Parts: sequence; C-alpha cells; structure tokens
Amino acid sequence: MANRSPGVLQRYRWTELGLFIIPFLLLLLEMSQLLIAKADPHSSLSKSNLPTLQGLIPALGVIAVLLAVNMLFSIFFRKADQVLLPLVGLLSGFGVLMATRLGPDLSPTPDPELGSRQLLWLLLGVSVCVVTVFLLRNVEWLERYKYTAVAFGIFLVGVTLLRTLQVHNFDAPGHDQLSIGPFGFQPSELLKICIVIFFAAYLSENRDILSEGNLHLGPVRLPPLRQLGPLVLMLGLALLLFLFVRELGLALLIYGIFLCMIYLGSGKIAYVVASLLIFVILGYIGYKLFGYVRARFGVLGIDILNWNDRSEQLYNQPGGAYQIVQGLIALSSGGILGAGLGLGHPAGRFFVPVVQSDMIFTALGEEFGLAGLFAIIGIYLLILYRGFRIAVEATTPFTQLLAAGLTSIFALQTLIITAGNMKFLPLTGIPLPFLSYGGSSLLANYIIIGILLRISYDTAMEREGHV
Amino acid sequence: MALTIDTFLLILRLLFVILLYLFLMQVVLAITRDLRRASAVDQAGVGKAAVSLGSLVVVDSGLSTTISPGRTFRLEPQTSIGRGPTNTIQLADNFISTEHTHLWYRHGKWYVQDVGSKSGTYVNEQPARDAIPAKPGDIVRVGHIKFKLTQ
Repeated sequence: MANRSPGVLQRYRWTELGLFIIPFLLLLLEMSQLLIAKADPHSSLSKSNLPTLQGLIPALGVIAVLLAVNMLFSIFFRKADQVLLPLVGLLSGFGVLMATRLGPDLSPTPDPELGSRQLLWLLLGVSVCVVTVFLLRNVEWLERYKYTAVAFGIFLVGVTLLRTLQVHNFDAPGHDQLSIGPFGFQPSELLKICIVIFFAAYLSENRDILSEGNLHLGPVRLPPLRQLGPLVLMLGLALLLFLFVRELGLALLIYGIFLCMIYLGSGKIAYVVASLLIFVILGYIGYKLFGYVRARFGVLGIDILNWNDRSEQLYNQPGGAYQIVQGLIALSSGGILGAGLGLGHPAGRFFVPVVQSDMIFTALGEEFGLAGLFAIIGIYLLILYRGFRIAVEATTPFTQLLAAGLTSIFALQTLIITAGNMKFLPLTGIPLPFLSYGGSSLLANYIIIGILLRISYDTAMEREGHV
Repeated sequence: MALTIDTFLLILRLLFVILLYLFLMQVVLAITRDLRRASAVDQAGVGKAAVSLGSLVVVDSGLSTTISPGRTFRLEPQTSIGRGPTNTIQLADNFISTEHTHLWYRHGKWYVQDVGSKSGTYVNEQPARDAIPAKPGDIVRVGHIKFKLTQ
C-alpha cells in the first residue's frame, strides 16, 4: 500500500498541510483567549480550574495529532482526499476546546476533566480512522458481509434493549448506553454505519430489479416482494428502536437515511413519496400511542414572544420546555460576534442544562455569535460537499452508494440536532458530529471519515492506473 | 487607546471570526482548484481515447439477430454491458438484462463481474458472480453471446 515515487517532497500532502495552518492558529488563539479570560473579572470561567499548563494541553494535543496523521497519510495514502481532514480537525478541535471550557462550569457536578477526556476520545477516534483506512483494503469485502454487519449492529442494540427492559417505566425516554466503568458507549452510533453498509450493498445489487418494479399496487409500481422484503425489514427495525429504546431522534435518523438511499439507489421519486406517506401515518400512530412523543411535540408549541400561563406551565414542568427556552436565550445573547470563548454563560445552575452534548450548538451560539455559527454550518456544508464528491467520483455502484449514504448520515444528524436546538423540531439526543461531547459519536464519525478517505484513495489510484 | 483586557479580548474575538472565514475561503479555493484540474484532465482524456486498453470481439452471437460475429467493441477503463441505455456497451438482445456485466481495468489487468443478470456472465465458462480476472484471449460470455477479449 506504500506509494513512494521520486521527488517525495514534491508529492507531500501540501494542500492538506496548508489547510491545516489556519485551524492550528485558531486553536492556539482560542486557547490563549481562554487563559486571558481567566484574568477578566467579568468572565464566567471558574477560576480554579484552568492552570496555565493544563489549559494548553488540549489545543496542543489536537495540533500534534493532526500533524501526525498528515505525515502518516503522506507516506502511505498520498492520494486520499486532502480537504476532509482539515475541516473535520477544526470541528474536533472546537469540540475539545468547548469541552475544556464548559467542564468546570457544569452544574450540578463540575467536571474539570471533560476537556482531557474529549481529547482522549479524539485520539482514539483519529487512530480508529487511520486503522480503518489501512484495513479496508478491499471495500467490496464490506459488500459481501452486509448481513453480518447488520446482525452485529442489531446485536449491540439488543444488548442495550435488555438493560432498558430493566427500567419498567415505559413512558420515559430510555437509555441507550452501555457503561464500562466511567466510559459510556452508545452502540446505536455504530448501528447507523452498519445500516448504511447494508442498504448500499443491497441497493447496488438489486438496482436492476428495483428500478423496474413488477408489483402493481393501484397506480404505483412496486418491486416484487422478494426484493421489498429486506428493505421493509430494516424499516421495521427503525420502528422497533423507537418502541423500545425510546430514541425518537435515532428512529428519525434511520428513516431519513433509508429515504435518501432509496432515492439514490433507484432514482424513483415514487418510492420516496410512498415512504414519506408511510412515515407520516406511522408518526401519527406513534403520537397517539406514546405520551413521551406527545410531550416532546407539545413543548414545541411554547409561545416565547407572548409569554402566557401556558408557556409558564410548559417551562416549569419536568421534561418540559426549560432546556429549550434556556438554549434560545443563550443563542440570542450571543448576538452577531458572540460573547467570546469563556466570556459567556452557557453552563451553570441557572443556565442551559446538558449543554456539553445535546445543546452544544447553543453554547457555540452564545460564545461565537451568529458569525461563528454561520461559519460552523459552512464547515459542515463543505464536509457534505466533499463527501458527495467522493461518492460521485467512486468507481463501483456499491462505493458510490456507500459514500453518499455515509455523507447523508452527517447531513441528517446535523440537521436534526440543530433544528432541535432552535425549536424547529422536537429536541432529540442526537449528538452534533465532532462538536458535542461524546466518545462513541466521535468514534463512529471518524470511522465514517476513514471509509470516505479510503474510497477516495481507491478512486484516485484507479484513475492513476490508466494514465 | 489604553489596552485593557476588554479591548484585547475584543481584538481576539474579531481575529477569531476573521480567521474562521479566511479558512472557509481557503477551503473553497482548494475545492475550485481541484475541480478545474479534474475538468482539465477530462478534456485531456478525450484526446487520449485513442490509446486502447482492450476490445471485445464477437465470436458467437448465440441467438441474437442484431449482433453479428466479428463486431468489435472498444473497452473503456470502466465498461458496463447491458440492454439499458445507461450502459457503455448497449446490446439489444432479449436474453441480456438491463444491467448485465461490469468490466474494469485495474493495475494492468481486466476484471469481469456479473451485476445480477438473469442469464449470467462467464469467463472461459467460469461463472463470474464475483470479479474474475480476464486476459487477452479469454472468452467472455454475456448471456448467450460470446466475446473474445483482445488487446
């Protein structure tokens, strides 16, 4: 897999290195701002928890890791995509910075080690990314083991299901976590990847039959039952998750992935429309059946501009609108430029609850302002662009669908959690990729990046072989 | 202007936003450079089509009425064979599926794979469910039509 050629210095991943310069500067800048903010009498930063050396470690750690990966890839995978890692690295760096900043301020239990833990997860994530790029020698292998992949994912979620069944309150949101010591792990993150692999493999194999459609259901032509079977099975899986693990966001995400890939795989709008209709029907049934869903949607209806008794009631009830309203207040206090890192009040007893993972977007909004938020959304859009470009350039239908599906995961995740933070959609527990605190999310997202990089490397190598 | 901590922090915040947008611009520039280079290669590639990697020559047209022996099809680095219009080689034959076979050239070798057809693809009568390498001189059978892979 080594790709050495004469003039190795000319063939270094210069573009990537050049793109890394500004992120490194940004990280150092923000770190120094945090340290200076300590001296500011107005800042909300808990003074006792950022001694100088410990404060710098997260930023320098991120820089060192990214440089190491850049050098590693220059030796072994020179031709892989060069724009993805700087974008992702900047976001991860911000994630670590925010964790460092928010940790000591969290209530009820301040956690000064949050930043260092996030840095550890980042290290782990990047290593997993590199390992993925090395190991995926034959991406077609994934295609052959699609049923194994899904079975593995289901098994993982099944284990968490068992633990949820121990909790007998069926109306409360469930817990989707496996705890190993102090580390919590969410297997649903890996399930997403397994499902995309399955859909990509299945849809690319059966493209022929799916686009023709022999079954007639009134005016709609559907594919024959044998092909429809596994697809419907996977859909049923999403509903099962919704029923037992109580993860509204996860079910939404999986259904969204299914819609995207169905359209990409078959090219027929009819299928998408049919699936959307089914989704609306099922959503309505779910709404009627579960109080949990009703509550989440009810919270959306809170009227903030004309604060009335109903709003007061929704605000104060447990599991109500408190978190969202606090988040919106944080977002609006950010203004255009933001308060500055360390100078706002995103975390603490009277501010936004669970701000380090679910509501990280509002914390970013308060401290970086509208300008910063637009830039961050811009970064996500660029990642999406790059992912879809890798998909378009890929050489086999399977890799094309795989890359496109994995990119759609990013898109849908960002959309769902951002909309949830801003009261457009019910708030769900989906983490914002790379920015929110959470190890399993970081790991899964880096695996996705690893697969995308590998696909881009294979495509570039194949093109090279012909010149 | 007295450089209090407040003004210094304000400068830092402004610097942060400026740098962030500079980064976005840099990425967009890298992307457009990449796109321009890719389209230039494509245009150069059109001129290079004269360099042939291989061809398929019909040796036995089976039950087909429209394809006669001796007909030659030039192969692209990625070639698909089938009845549908999206294929590189479109064959109008009832026994060939819409998407029948996929051939590609990698590291100096040709590979043939059936992509879910009804009548199958065979290399020297070996079924090509998974990718099979093929060298010049091999007989590639797509449905009932036999081709010979040539240089």
